Amino acid sequence: MGDSDQWSEEVTSIIDRFQSCFDTMERYELLFEYANKHPSSLAIDEWDDENMVHGCQSRAHVECSLDSQGGFVAKGGADAQIVQGLMAITAIAVNGLPPSEVANHDPSYVEEMGLSQILTPSRANGFMNMVKKVKEEASTLM
Amino acid sequence: MPLDVELIRSQFPILQRTLPNGKKLVYFDNAATSQKPLAVIDAMSDFYKNYHANAHRANHTLADESTAALEGARDRISKFLGTSEGQMIYTGSATEAMNLVAYGWARYNLNEGDVVVTTEMEHHANIVPWQELSKERGIELRYVPIDTEKFTLDYDAMEVAIEGSSLVCVGHVSNVLGVRNDIERVIKMAHSQGARVAIDSAQGAPHEKIFFDDLGADFLSVAAHKMGGPTGIGCLLVSKDALSEMGPFLTGGSIVKRVSLEGTQFQEGYAMFETGTPRMAEAIGWGVAVDWLEENIDFEEAHKHVQSIASWMATRMRKIPGITVFGFPEMEEAIGVVSFLHDTIQAQDLGYLLDAGGFAVRTGHHCAQPLMEAMGVGSTNRASVWIYNTMEEAEAFVTHLESIVSKFG
Repeated sequence: MGDSDQWSEEVTSIIDRFQSCFDTMERYELLFEYANKHPSSLAIDEWDDENMVHGCQSRAHVECSLDSQGGFVAKGGADAQIVQGLMAITAIAVNGLPPSEVANHDPSYVEEMGLSQILTPSRANGFMNMVKKVKEEASTLM
Repeated sequence: MPLDVELIRSQFPILQRTLPNGKKLVYFDNAATSQKPLAVIDAMSDFYKNYHANAHRANHTLADESTAALEGARDRISKFLGTSEGQMIYTGSATEAMNLVAYGWARYNLNEGDVVVTTEMEHHANIVPWQELSKERGIELRYVPIDTEKFTLDYDAMEVAIEGSSLVCVGHVSNVLGVRNDIERVIKMAHSQGARVAIDSAQGAPHEKIFFDDLGADFLSVAAHKMGGPTGIGCLLVSKDALSEMGPFLTGGSIVKRVSLEGTQFQEGYAMFETGTPRMAEAIGWGVAVDWLEENIDFEEAHKHVQSIASWMATRMRKIPGITVFGFPEMEEAIGVVSFLHDTIQAQDLGYLLDAGGFAVRTGHHCAQPLMEAMGVGSTNRASVWIYNTMEEAEAFVTHLESIVSKFG
């Protein structure tokens, strides 16, 4: 478990929403909702081998850059909505941060959201690979 | 006599399980692996607790007991599969069994220009060994297509492909479509051309009593774990003629008569192919599994039971908006597999949404990518039924799927 003080108000609010879910199906519904409002989604025609996330059962891609203020931007896309939802929440957590902070990003908010219950080893691995890719790209953008 | 499904279920402890999300498990992933009756679990535990020792290697009491159990299991499993113990080679899996055909028979008998026939319906275990051998030996590989309307093999195309071939390799039952191939016809066709025939029965043996000697195939692969036995063991059944043409595949200990620095003299028969410490616990567990099947399951009744559930599911699922069911699980000879997709809910998402309701299904290409390509899809969800599933589980599954589609579709 992470320390809830370390997360932004937005991430804390997402955690609250997931914690108030009645069951796994409701958490999936919420993940689908986040998938549909990814703050920086990566269009399908931008998916290529270079931005592919390995270790995901579904097809997933992440591309990272800096905005005009030097804030980090993680664009992501996946064919599975559950993965896309996880990507969206990660983007909400890291977008706008300095790359040095993103390079040390702690994704333990996922456990706080109760998503560890629904993250099977293969998918958790895919999610962790996505986070790893985001952190590695942040390091190169520092 | 109809199956006493409740009695059967009571012997599979895992089926009583509740998942972490509070849902009761409904296990529809039997084509991937079946669950095990308590008798199998207990037999393996008993071996490790009471008489574990390396078989065929020592003169002490435990080794005698272990050897007797290993060979006793071979005797019972081979009889269950309609042959004798001399025709059965223990392998690590059905996949390894098909590799044994490739490397223990084809490599010794086929040369450049010889023809191997397989089909685009196969599991990768019956495609990749032939591709590799083809590269190594210059063997011509011919693929029989499927009829994409009937979702069966194209037998006219097979007749043409078999002409002049040396080996024909066909799956007994498709792990994706549940279609039972006409292997008797294929064996006749192949033998009329003088070709040997290998049947991949990983998906067939759990659903149909195999009578290997009567069937007339030259090779037949079986996986224990899909028929109530443990993982890590399977076998290759081999006709006497074909066995006499085989040479060693994996080499090392156990399979030799004598080794000197000048060379090695190998054992004969099945003993030439079982190198290393035998899979003792697994063989013992599998032996008990076939005993359990003999005592508890009438295969004709089991087929009716499994087919009626899968057929009902397919019929109901076709009525759910956006759901496509592939093939014809409703056909009388189909074997309990319902592959499906929703047109907007991605297959992996659908797998997890079903899991949230407690329903275990397989999602992916099922190690049958050429078939997926022929079907025009990258993956499917697959519900597969076995002897312990019930119509109530099927009804609950369809209700949950309807609910998913109404919420997420």
